[in-house]
Amino acid sequence: MTVAQPGGSSGGRPQPSGLADVIDSILDKGLVIDAYVRVSLVGIEVLTVDARVVIASVDTYLRFAEAVNRLDISQEKEGLPDLVGDMEEGGAKHKTKGALEAAGDKLRDFAGDGGSRREHASRRRGGEED
Amino acid sequence: MAGSAKSGQARGSRDKASGSGKQKGTYVYGIVPADVEVTDEMSGVGDPAGQVRVVASDDLAALVSDVDCSGSFGSPEDLVAHKEILDSVAAEVPVLPLRFGAVLTDDEAVIHELLDAHSDEFAGALRELEDRVQYVVKGRYDEDAILGEVLSENEEMADLREQIRGADKDATRDQRIRLGEMISEAVAAKREEDTRALGDAMEGHCVASAVREPAHELDAVHVAFLVTADQEEEVERVVSGLARDWEKRIELRLLGPMAAYDFVGATEPGA
Repeated sequence: MTVAQPGGSSGGRPQPSGLADVIDSILDKGLVIDAYVRVSLVGIEVLTVDARVVIASVDTYLRFAEAVNRLDISQEKEGLPDLVGDMEEGGAKHKTKGALEAAGDKLRDFAGDGGSRREHASRRRGGEED
Repeated sequence: MAGSAKSGQARGSRDKASGSGKQKGTYVYGIVPADVEVTDEMSGVGDPAGQVRVVASDDLAALVSDVDCSGSFGSPEDLVAHKEILDSVAAEVPVLPLRFGAVLTDDEAVIHELLDAHSDEFAGALRELEDRVQYVVKGRYDEDAILGEVLSENEEMADLREQIRGADKDATRDQRIRLGEMISEAVAAKREEDTRALGDAMEGHCVASAVREPAHELDAVHVAFLVTADQEEEVERVVSGLARDWEKRIELRLLGPMAAYDFVGATEPGA
């Protein structure tokens, strides 16, 4: 048996979302052997805490409430007093709509692929895009 | 910095332990069958990165690299290297991935304290993983879509929304917090519902599954699946189907194949 380097992992830097996926898999998953002699590694603790804490907080709630406010602007045109419907609000509306359309396009591309997005090289196939 | 070499008498000295300032260790990525060999050069963790090599004992081997324990450690590059090495190996042979950060004092410790001390356990776990890999299905709610969905299903939330609309932020702080809390709870209920739907859809297309904790407040589904080689196409088909069903609601991604991170350790493989 042999082990080959993955073919598709070009030299590019990892994307932020890619790193999040990596953290999800290797920081609190995987085999832990209590008997081994672990050397104290300070940096990891900090990173773990930063990456893993997802706790509903007042900040989260306020952010959701704010998001709902924005949602109103984009979806309901009637009843908005003129003094609110100024340039700033118009800008926000346009922005939200654009983001929605972009998300739709992305999903269509995904579905149209006839397959799922893969983040790693295919199995037992390598070297086609180095 | 010229800290690496001491002049004069230190040169050629056998006294490695004291005064060198460097503490070497052997970093362990995972456990594989002993007949595995690393054919290509793979750079491991640490700075400078050591080359990945194999330390074997009887039927088992560990994928390791040298690491300087006095240096900094745990950078994004290190995390990515750890995972890429394990995933590329897992695509070819069974591997038990160790959690990030396992360092032993030297190769001798790897053989005696790790491989020999757990040989039965490791051999059994590797047999379970023969011809199996892990995939992760990860979905993120489209914020506007999920907010619209939960608001349309609850009158109290709709009322609160009216109260805060265009109102002074400080004056309506309580209402905002209450509304946000209700949304947070509603999204959690949606998450549970959609995770169940994903599990139902994958029924019969995987050997085992493990639900992961949400890593983001808008996470919709986050589940690891252990699948056999002949199930991989089915998995892609099922996930593509769900992605179409959930279009505009959830951005769904299929990650893998990867090492079986979620199916080793505390939980028994294949359970």
